[in-house]
Amino acid sequence: MEIVIPQVEREKDTFEVKINFRDLTVNKNDIELALGYTEGAIPVHFEEMVDDVLSQLPSHCEIQAGYRLLDVNKSDDRNDGLFVGDKFFKLHKIVTSQLRKSEKAALFISTIGPAMETWAKTLSTEGDIALSYLVDIVASVTEEQTTDVLQDHIEKQMQMRGLKITNRYSPGYCDWSVSEQHLLFSFFPVNFCGIVLTDSALMVPIKSVSGIIGVGTEVKKVNYTCDTCGMKDCTYRAYRRGKTKRTN
Amino acid sequence: MDELVVRISHCVENGKINKASPYPNAMKGMEGADELTKQALDAAIGPDAILQACNDGMQRIGERFSRNEVFVPELLMAAKAMHAVMAHLEPFFKSGTVKVKGKFVLGTVAGDLHDIGKNLVRMVVEGNGWEVIDLGVDVKSTKFLDAIKNTPGCIVGLSALLTTTMVNMSKTVQEIKIQFPATKVIVGGAPLTMDAALKMGADGYSHDPQGAVTFLDKISAA
Ligand code: B12
Repeated sequence: MEIVIPQVEREKDTFEVKINFRDLTVNKNDIELALGYTEGAIPVHFEEMVDDVLSQLPSHCEIQAGYRLLDVNKSDDRNDGLFVGDKFFKLHKIVTSQLRKSEKAALFISTIGPAMETWAKTLSTEGDIALSYLVDIVASVTEEQTTDVLQDHIEKQMQMRGLKITNRYSPGYCDWSVSEQHLLFSFFPVNFCGIVLTDSALMVPIKSVSGIIGVGTEVKKVNYTCDTCGMKDCTYRAYRRGKTKRTN
Repeated sequence: MDELVVRISHCVENGKINKASPYPNAMKGMEGADELTKQALDAAIGPDAILQACNDGMQRIGERFSRNEVFVPELLMAAKAMHAVMAHLEPFFKSGTVKVKGKFVLGTVAGDLHDIGKNLVRMVVEGNGWEVIDLGVDVKSTKFLDAIKNTPGCIVGLSALLTTTMVNMSKTVQEIKIQFPATKVIVGGAPLTMDAALKMGADGYSHDPQGAVTFLDKISAA
């Protein structure tokens, strides 16, 4: 049965998406991969620790997610970014070209809340640094999952309007400056989804993700164009590669 | 080398803390770093030899980590085993019989709240015989400057996880270099590169904790 996640329109075109922990499928393989191990190569001891963390994960997640739909202005033929609403986002030309056929854009944010972070900190102060690290990694993977679920939700919502979506892109990836987080957050109500952006463009809670998804009749999802990007150290590339290897 | 010392080194490398610790699987039920250190001291083995054994063990696991043969969890277990040894050696450090290699002032720069990477660096650097003064996260440059003033001869490590907080890192490095030109600074964290590190005036960069140890050891040997 297909899950339909409820959403609430908090302000015009600004939606809170009520993602439940049960909507996620936090996969142990993804965690092992995030830790660096190839499939099945994690030492038993750590696997047991991961199981323990996973059993306590539901009670440590306070998922909040949302998005705002805005018009994309393509009258401008610059290839170094896009007007979303009344603001210009400076993007890499590859990302610009993926988004430029969009009629609308969904700016999104999501978080799993601060509880995992607090747990990891407590463990670390108590000296249980290995478990603390595992808690941190499980939290990161869970937050990535949350964003996947949010993206699927947005896709379904747009399908109902006869629209398609692009891949998602985040400030700090694909040559999009993290400082543009300020611009992105300016479109959300204060404290939207319980996430605060600091002066240094850090989202608090830490386990949060933001980004943009293009929406329109002419857009499509593509394989991430990681190979054409200059950011050699970006691990998203490796992450994507690992993921496609396993799921396909 | 004494057999006990060899075993301590092996325990540290493999993260065997004590007999009760179930990790690693292959050493379940065996004596660990804790028991063996006690036995070694009882057998009048010098604390220097024990310390050297630990450093060798940490060095080996650090190298395996750098080669991607083991990952952060193994490294952390080794650091924990090392700490079990250190607890026994504490009195010798206090009395001055054995000395730390030097002092390392470490912190995550202003505007940045990430601590897991910095904590890993702390554990590994401590495990390799250095005293670490951990200033925590969101550390303003004035706090770094104070710590340097109060810790003569220290080396400084800065951590940042976002390009936006790298800006504060750069400012901190510059302020340190103005007030304490002789103080060596190493920087690290996901968005950094050697290039960026040198541009901001730092003396070193490493993408992992082992690199920090190599950097520190090189300076202390010079
Ligand atoms: C997991 C992850 C996440 C998770 C959790 C993030 C977290 N910080 O907890 C989630 C999914 C939530 C996330 C979100 C975001 N992320 Co993120 N994320 C990562 C990822 C894949 C791993 C980070 C991690 O936990 N590493 C494990 C720890 C232990 O490593 P570490 O802190 O780097 O420390 C190691 C080394 O750097 C070194 N080290 C650290 N400090 C020091 C100090 C010294 C002196 C030395 C010598 C060494 C050293 O030693 C440590 C051990 O090896 C990295 C990519 C990567 N491979 O690093 C991107 C990465 C950090 N994220 C990035 C970005 C951009 C973001 C977002 C801004 C995206 C967005 N718009 O939503 C947000 C920001 C979140 C926020 N709160 O503001 C960028 C940051 C670079 C940049 N452009 O600024 C990275 C580098 C990815 C990339 N583009 O290449 N992220």
